[in-house]
Amino acid sequence: MSAVVRLVPVQEAYDDLLNRTLSRISCDLGRLIYLASTRDYNTGNYYHEGLSNRFSMDVARKALEIAHRQAFYKVSAFPLEDLVSDLEVYLQSTRENPQECLRAWQKLEPYRVAFPTEVNLTVARLFTSNLRLALAILRFRREPCH
Amino acid sequence: MIGSSSALIGAVVLLALILVWIRADSKSPHLPSVPDEWLPDQAGAAEVCPPEFVSQIFSCQDLEFVLGLESPDLKGRFLQERSAVALLWVQQTTAAICRIMSRHLEASRLSEDIEFAVEARIFLQYAQLRLICGVLFLLIGLAGPHRLHGMALRADELTRRIGNALGEFESGAREREMGGARSS
Repeated sequence: MSAVVRLVPVQEAYDDLLNRTLSRISCDLGRLIYLASTRDYNTGNYYHEGLSNRFSMDVARKALEIAHRQAFYKVSAFPLEDLVSDLEVYLQSTRENPQECLRAWQKLEPYRVAFPTEVNLTVARLFTSNLRLALAILRFRREPCH
Repeated sequence: MIGSSSALIGAVVLLALILVWIRADSKSPHLPSVPDEWLPDQAGAAEVCPPEFVSQIFSCQDLEFVLGLESPDLKGRFLQERSAVALLWVQQTTAAICRIMSRHLEASRLSEDIEFAVEARIFLQYAQLRLICGVLFLLIGLAGPHRLHGMALRADELTRRIGNALGEFESGAREREMGGARSS
């Protein structure tokens, strides 16, 4: 009984997060990067002020954690072609110079912070591998001589 | 007469193999997983890779997309990257099945009523899986993961089947223990 009582607010918080925040982000990779950015690097805990105010801090954390894991597995399961399209949308949405973004992503690999805390190693490796390839493909399309 | 004696010899050989395997496995260290780059801590990692990802790693779909770009460099990079992921999956599967079997062997040693037929079936599936993993490990670099799709799915299916069989074995053993405790 207590498990049901505890899960219902998490589901509500999750739906709230989906409808109010995540639906405004234009691509799945953007949603994943956003969710990963709500996690504190030092503690691994998730924070979202609005969600914590509407629910409780623990419920908000749990909802963010679930949403992060789901977003990660969704992006990891993309066929390469879909990932390239999603990455293109993401780069356009940053309002930075796409060429510079591409180079920085290839060099620094900042997407590694997008791993959820507990993730299957092979899926994590597939994720980084596919992103590396997607970046190389986008760069090839923009600078074929590269 | 010859048929029954061959069956008897076969059963004795199989029994001897199982005993050797139990003794050897209890002494051998577990296979280390050696990823080629930084990856999250394995201690909290989910043990078995979800089947849809296994299918994706070994599928032709992404290769066809890359071939359509007509860049030998990209094709080379793709094959290199995908082979690395496939090899990691083989390593992870081998390590996971070794851990599962070690737990089972420990439970078998403590159990008083081992069913020979069940143990033999599990052993044969385990041997088949180790063989497939060994073949995959050799062929991924030579043929490319996209040519080994069926074999990889077979290995994944066997891993799940062994995991389920051992789960049933453990829950059955627990039930028998509880039944024994109630009757005494």
